[in-house]
Amino acid sequence: MIASLRRIRAIAGTTLIELARLRVFYVLVLFALVLIVSSTFLARISFQQELQVTKDISLGAINFFLSLLAIVATAQLLPRDIEDRVVYSVLAKPVPRFEYILGKFLGVLGLLALSLATMSVLCLVVLHLREQSALQEANRQVTQLAPDQLSSTLRSIHMAGINRDLIAAVVLVLAKSAILAAATLCISAFATSNIFTITAMAMVYLIGHLESIAREYWLEHAAGWVTRTFLAVVAFIFPDLQAFNISDQVIGGIPIPAHLIVQLLGLTTFYVLSYILLATAIFYQREL
Amino acid sequence: MMQTAIRISHVTKVYRTPFRRRATVALRDLNLEIAPGEVYGLLGPNGSGKSTTLKIILGLISATRGSVTIFGRDNSVVAARREIGFLPENAYFHKFLTGAETLRFHAKLSGLPRSETRARVDELLATVGLTDARNARLSTYSKGMLQRIGLAQALIHNPKLLVLDEPTAGVDPAGSRDIQDLIASLRNRGTTVLLSSHLLTQVQEVCDRVGILHRGRLLREGPLQGLLSIENQTELVLENASPDLLDGLEQQIASTSARLIARRKAQASLEQLFLHVTESTEE
Repeated sequence: MIASLRRIRAIAGTTLIELARLRVFYVLVLFALVLIVSSTFLARISFQQELQVTKDISLGAINFFLSLLAIVATAQLLPRDIEDRVVYSVLAKPVPRFEYILGKFLGVLGLLALSLATMSVLCLVVLHLREQSALQEANRQVTQLAPDQLSSTLRSIHMAGINRDLIAAVVLVLAKSAILAAATLCISAFATSNIFTITAMAMVYLIGHLESIAREYWLEHAAGWVTRTFLAVVAFIFPDLQAFNISDQVIGGIPIPAHLIVQLLGLTTFYVLSYILLATAIFYQREL
Repeated sequence: MMQTAIRISHVTKVYRTPFRRRATVALRDLNLEIAPGEVYGLLGPNGSGKSTTLKIILGLISATRGSVTIFGRDNSVVAARREIGFLPENAYFHKFLTGAETLRFHAKLSGLPRSETRARVDELLATVGLTDARNARLSTYSKGMLQRIGLAQALIHNPKLLVLDEPTAGVDPAGSRDIQDLIASLRNRGTTVLLSSHLLTQVQEVCDRVGILHRGRLLREGPLQGLLSIENQTELVLENASPDLLDGLEQQIASTSARLIARRKAQASLEQLFLHVTESTEE
């Protein structure tokens, strides 16, 4: 049977409504508070540092809240549908299980994209306002600065403010959250409780962030074939989530090469597809 | 040759619990055929295998052994479910959707053309008496209303086969009567209905044939009349019979080898009494 986009869209749309009506968007209010409160109380050392710290806090908060949303929102989708027997009336229709899993994933992805868009706009507005106030102040001091000194100050303010790499960093946050959501769906396809799924995902999150450090250390100190095989298996199963964190380079003004972004998006596609396929295979075996 | 609506051949279902040696046999070598347009009642106590049978038919779980076909198609093929409407027991559906949204969602899943959806949703909401509650969320619905919206979603794509798991559970007698009337009208339109129920009188009223399951085995099966009739007994129900006529009949019976077992006033069922009292109060 050929997949029906209409059915997948219906399941994704309903999942998005479900998550929206469950008020998971409250996390965005928390984000706004973190951003506004922290940027208000920032100690002003220099314009560039102020903008850099605002960017650092914003990207850190976006990363944290979106990862949290991806895991918590996805973990409850399948168990809730099974507990409420909604899954019976859905799968008794001509709906293949892969359409159901894909629809659920796309619904969560929609929620993540909407949340990310809201947080990014808020972050960009705060940064823009800070940047403008920094530029105005620099212009006021124009009489005290030499012309080459002034143009260098303005350039550093622009570099520390909104730029192309900031958008790339935000896109990679979404990519990382998509991987986390797909992995959560995969675990919840066989898990019997939300707590198990969330705990397992906390471990996946931890391994994903620490594996690059562990790999570096082990390859330096004990590079036998057993260690290498083990590291290869871990690297294959768990994505290197730390690789998606390019905020340090963005804040430091180090240009991000385009091929790195393409590589990371390719990796995202691979892991998302693999986890979705695995989730579908597990769900096909599940007795409802 | 007429194609059967449902054919269950030698189906056995064994549930195995991981890390435990013991397995539970839910169904043992079940064979069943349901003809198109028939209303079939599956009876049995809790744990007899009724829900397992329905879930296997719908492809929600797989049989350990045996096969099931729906209108000639293997039930594991997703397309076989195009012909089926299903009302699960104690269904809750998406509580965050309204009645109309629920029906539109199920219309999309069933592949009902967009152009027909709106009219069909309105028609079904009217049929199950929920037009006024169409924009209320299901979280505010009563148990009976949920059961009715469940019935509407099962019928959204006009299925040839309707599978109902305890359709009147939690519904008041008037609502229950409405559901029975709906089943009767579906039969008249040629829809095949398979229902499981604990309520024997309701099954007796709407079903053409019944099967009695116990501990995973089909103990009895056949047309209701045949199963219920007592071969060597006859019932006469008379209206306006005088006491003299009844005494005369009794004397005549006594002069033969037949034996009169009981002479009593014909009685309405409690359900008939309830409906009569509540309906006359509403008038």
